[in-house]
Amino acid sequence: MNAAPWLATLTALSRHRGVLGTLLVSERDGLAVESMVQIGVNAETVAALAASLHRKARLASAAAGYGGVHFVRLDAERGHVLAAGRDDLLFVVISESRANTGLLRVELIRAAAGLA
Amino acid sequence: MKAAVDAWVEEPLLRFVRDARVRLALVLEASGRVLAQHGFTRSVDVMSACALAAAIQASSAELGRQLDGAPFGSLHHDGSDRQLFLGAITTPGGLHLLLAVFDDATSIGLVRLYFGELRGRLAAAAPARVASDAVTPALDEHFERDLDLNLARLFGRL
Repeated sequence: MNAAPWLATLTALSRHRGVLGTLLVSERDGLAVESMVQIGVNAETVAALAASLHRKARLASAAAGYGGVHFVRLDAERGHVLAAGRDDLLFVVISESRANTGLLRVELIRAAAGLA
Repeated sequence: MKAAVDAWVEEPLLRFVRDARVRLALVLEASGRVLAQHGFTRSVDVMSACALAAAIQASSAELGRQLDGAPFGSLHHDGSDRQLFLGAITTPGGLHLLLAVFDDATSIGLVRLYFGELRGRLAAAAPARVASDAVTPALDEHFERDLDLNLARLFGRL
């Protein structure tokens, strides 16, 4: 997969209402491969912490005997962190509370399936 | 075993270790003199790591000056099981270095993130160096004696 489809996916996710940033992150390194974030969003910090969150969710699921993780959703006071990935790569979305998380979930899972 | 020779380094380093989940950590002066450590069990390992870290920093800083006009800020080496991070910290007391070794319990992204916080805390806590008009030698007059003293303090021989 070359860089262009990643950018197209990030752009499409960024256009949703209430989305503040979209990133493609390496789970192992906690570093952003590509990111599109609004001013005031620290992409490096989000990448490091979202990758850690996804990794811990994956390990917890495996320890509980539930297999792989398809999608992680964190609901916070003023917004959401959503992540879906495959192998070492994750798509991460950070959004305000008003965002349509159902639609974002479908798009994230679809985008993650395209990572190879 | 003590974590730090100087008290101002101890709390920021322990917080960094806890947050970033690194296995080994060292704070040292650019000359190679150790100020604090976490995870080492033998003083000889601390001494070797400090000497190597100071040498790596000196080499990479000079390489940065040659290539980019300024020293490189940090260095990351990705090994098969363990990874190494070496970062420079400028404080009122001079240039200090952090050497951290970590495994897959954390990531370079998290280490970099918490290194940024450590840098701020150490810069705020470090005592200022006494100004002097005299030309400063590359190594302190009592470097070796101080190095031995610091290692003895860290490993409970004093």
